[in-house]
Amino acid sequence: MKRLSVRLERCTGCQRCEIGCMAEHAPGQDYYTARAAAAAAKAPAPITRILVESGGDGRAVPLVCRHCHEALCVSACMSGCMQKDPKTGIVTNMGHEQQCVGCWMCIMACPYGVITPSQDVAVIGGSPFAQAIKCDFCPQRDTPACVEVCPNNAIEVLDD
Amino acid sequence: MKAVIIGGSAAGIQAAEELRGLEPQAEITVISDEPHYPYSRCLISRHVEGKLAPEGLRFRTGRFFEQHGINGWLGSRVERINSEGKTVHLADGRQAPYDRLLIATGARPFVPGIPGLKQGNVFTFHSMADAEAIVSAAQDARQVVVLGAGFAGLEAAYALARRGKQVTVVERMGQILPNQLDWTGSAIIQSDLERSGVRILLDNSVAAVEGSDAVSSVALTDRSSLVADMVIVATGTRPNVELAQQAGIATQRGIIVDAYLQTSAPDIWAAGDVIEIDDISTGRRLCSATWVNAILQGRFAAWNMAGRRRLYTDAVGIQNAVQFHHVPAISFGQTLVGADSAEDFEVMTLRQGQVYKKLVLQDDILRGMIFVGDIAKAGFYAALIRHRVDLSAVKQRLLDDDFSYAAVMDLNSFGQKNPYANTDPAWESDAFWAQRAQAAGIIR
Repeated sequence: MKRLSVRLERCTGCQRCEIGCMAEHAPGQDYYTARAAAAAAKAPAPITRILVESGGDGRAVPLVCRHCHEALCVSACMSGCMQKDPKTGIVTNMGHEQQCVGCWMCIMACPYGVITPSQDVAVIGGSPFAQAIKCDFCPQRDTPACVEVCPNNAIEVLDD
Repeated sequence: MKAVIIGGSAAGIQAAEELRGLEPQAEITVISDEPHYPYSRCLISRHVEGKLAPEGLRFRTGRFFEQHGINGWLGSRVERINSEGKTVHLADGRQAPYDRLLIATGARPFVPGIPGLKQGNVFTFHSMADAEAIVSAAQDARQVVVLGAGFAGLEAAYALARRGKQVTVVERMGQILPNQLDWTGSAIIQSDLERSGVRILLDNSVAAVEGSDAVSSVALTDRSSLVADMVIVATGTRPNVELAQQAGIATQRGIIVDAYLQTSAPDIWAAGDVIEIDDISTGRRLCSATWVNAILQGRFAAWNMAGRRRLYTDAVGIQNAVQFHHVPAISFGQTLVGADSAEDFEVMTLRQGQVYKKLVLQDDILRGMIFVGDIAKAGFYAALIRHRVDLSAVKQRLLDDDFSYAAVMDLNSFGQKNPYANTDPAWESDAFWAQRAQAAGIIR
């Protein structure tokens, strides 16, 4: 079961993981073009799926999806599109027979606040619905983008 | 083991799936009186709106029963449960003997005793059959009156407005969504709905539905009347407790279950909208009628049916997420605290344009929340409610933009593997700073 692990003492709060994440999920893997296009069209900016937040004592904390065991977002999903892959353990609402209808049940369920609503047309694509956006472990890559772009190796992939 | 599950919606299907995982050899039969392959009741408005075909409503694959080796008896109505002979009797004469039984019969729409509701073009809004009947009647209908501004009524109203119908919602109370939102939150959602073309009449109710054979108008209690060729009744639901009552199982409003979801009868469990639960946010017993609760109860009931004792606790009865038009809203837990409440509640609110946030605390523990317009991180606040986290240290920051799970991560991991657990214990020692300087490219 794959999951992300964070070495907090290595995080400097540079937010490059956020940029890497948004770039990976932007059309053509190009964050800056996607952001400019969104701004020109007055559309919502790209959304990051990893969030660098400030902890209680001011330290930077990258909030990551835990790809939970018995994930609450999966239980809450009324369309059945949010699923945990039985082999890899990755939890995602994309690429399944069922489609995300933007009901926001998963956003209400996720204890870590790492699922975000998106009305972004570039993300929604051909769907008639707004979509819930979350970490999908970068299906096009061997290693998730946030792990690769972190200059301090603060984020790693665990398989346990 | 022979397991029989009555009901093929959220709780029943989740229980069947879970039970198959726990008991590979068990013979599992799911009996549903609906002829449709298991579908999500919450999505019927998307079908009425025309955005999803009937197949798009399935919350498991279209081969669920085959894939899991489960008998799916669809379109089959259970007539009675013989709890002594441990057999379920169907209306068509079939019998299903069981070792373990799950009652997940859900709820049905409550139809008030208003004159004229028996005629044509009057519908409830609860099932695929309702949705299909509405879709076919909507081809000729132009003016729709919806009774009740609860969840189901507003979903139906919005869907039909999107199909170009003139829709009027009539609500007895002084606000929409009276069970979910407070006055401020409901006013924001109401104006969002009105911008989509739905008309809403508050503090008013339907006295009679008139027409010969099919609806032609609706008379209201304020003596005005509305022209209508379709009426949708969405005035709440009632648990389907009759089967359980006939079997001698203890019921009140819903079926009474213990903390392991077992009923008063041996080898019979119950889950979903048909049961009563103890709501930890309000301390009251209630029937929840919430998708996620039905799923979780289905799972926990299956574990207990398989003999793996699993306590069902920390349920929150009120939890709703909604977006009709442009403005999303989430309400969770105890949100409706009256000024006359004897208990000592503390309420924090934030209002900026279309964004409204309200937190209800008691003894520095979060009891309820309403988020309207900006629902990011709502689940984190919901977890604070479920896990009853002591917030005395961070109370002043609760509604800050940068308040997130990071602020309480040392207090609670919310029951999952901690991604920060391998953080160096030397954190913030001299060695740590040397390492951090090196990582940042600073040479000392």
